[in-house]
Amino acid sequence: MHRRSFLALSAGLPFLADALLAVPSKRMLQMNGYAVNAETPLELLTDYITPSELLFVRSHWIPHMPDLKTWRLKVDGEVKTPLDLSLADLKRMPAAEATCVLQCAGNGRGLYAPTVPGVQWRYGAVGNARWRGVRVRDVLERAGVSAEAKHMHTFGSDDPPGKVPPFHRSLEIEKAMSDAILAYDMNGAPLPAAHGGPLRLVVPGWAGDHWMKWLMRISPQREAQKGFYMETAYRYPIAPGAPGVAMKPEEMRVLTEMTVKSNITTAPARAHVGKAAKLAGFAFSGAPDVEKVELSDDDGATWHDAALDPRHSPYAWRRWSYSWTPSKAGRARIVARATDVRGAVQPRESVWNQSGYVYNGWHGVDVEVTA
Amino acid sequence: MKRALVIAALFIAFVAAAPKKKTTLPPLGTKFHALPDGKGKQLVEASCLPCHSPDILVQQRLTEKQWTANVEKMMRWGAAVRDDDKGAIIAYLAGHFGPENKFTPIATRPVGH
Repeated sequence: MHRRSFLALSAGLPFLADALLAVPSKRMLQMNGYAVNAETPLELLTDYITPSELLFVRSHWIPHMPDLKTWRLKVDGEVKTPLDLSLADLKRMPAAEATCVLQCAGNGRGLYAPTVPGVQWRYGAVGNARWRGVRVRDVLERAGVSAEAKHMHTFGSDDPPGKVPPFHRSLEIEKAMSDAILAYDMNGAPLPAAHGGPLRLVVPGWAGDHWMKWLMRISPQREAQKGFYMETAYRYPIAPGAPGVAMKPEEMRVLTEMTVKSNITTAPARAHVGKAAKLAGFAFSGAPDVEKVELSDDDGATWHDAALDPRHSPYAWRRWSYSWTPSKAGRARIVARATDVRGAVQPRESVWNQSGYVYNGWHGVDVEVTA
Repeated sequence: MKRALVIAALFIAFVAAAPKKKTTLPPLGTKFHALPDGKGKQLVEASCLPCHSPDILVQQRLTEKQWTANVEKMMRWGAAVRDDDKGAIIAYLAGHFGPENKFTPIATRPVGH
């Protein structure tokens, strides 16, 4: 039934899509036509703030879009006063803003070897946006959250088909109360439906699986949420294992913070010996900032610092740039690595895990250098 | 110019014809990857495409063991697969989308307006 309405709708879209695709800076890479999954071409991720229409989209299922007139956020569970808040109610509360990175937990899954099942994201399931909304802490304090509550359960409006388990999650209430936001705006405009509008959770520094879209209900509880998406999926090895060897759920923990990572977004295809060429990119981590980004043209034997752009706020990415002057002709491979403020260094190889989460191996580009 | 007008007219017609109350997020796909012809294709279409676009299948690079695990997971989750057809479905998927499979995503329109 969903599919029928999809097909009916899509019949009218090619004309519009053709017009937009004529503009090379306005295109996405379709990873799944339905449910909607699309990543940004890496070479378009060149802004400090990722334009809303170019930010990647990750959907598990097909969301039922609520009528904004009747939409409510329910707050229940371990609270003195359950709440039933309209969007206007939320907008009357003190507003909070954060500029930070949203990255799909599976960004880079397609780069793992041995290969793993799932959306084969490569580089572009990531972006940096300005989020505005209400602090989770303010809402939970207004509801009189109990000190016994240790986890905040989150529920969105997407509706899985058949006997597929629902995408219900929870996160530690300590993190939710420290800096999470219930966001109704993105980049200065109402949060688009594709990005979870009217309301999504923003969890700075943590992977996108915690950033529940199309929020309907939050519920502080004593215990963590159960179910497939807590106990089987979105888990990460407690200690690295051998690539290709699957682990049991108890050998893994719930994935939380992202790993330190840098990508090269801008590089010349060709360069000349002795002439400076410009490289640029972004870097971020599950820590609030990166300390440095370095580049190497000799497979990591020597590293050279990139210049970090001053624009930043906690858990936002840093733009970086580097002026590279090749010293010899031939094909050069340049790799970037980031180090975060806690001292974590981006590794040559990402820690293999069976679901392909938080890939952060060195990213390299090839440049043809002529004399 | 003429082309732009035609596009604008068609878009307005499309919007006007669209149901007033949209309750689900529209699809991204104006086109999807095609499933390659071969034995088992129709079974795969009937079993997988009600919930997934073909894109998600044709990008996988999985061994027969991994495909078997995934098909069984989807059967537990309600995919309409008869036990008799399971082998043909796995053979099709593993035969076309094994570890050496290559995939190029379709370029598509911006999404998050």
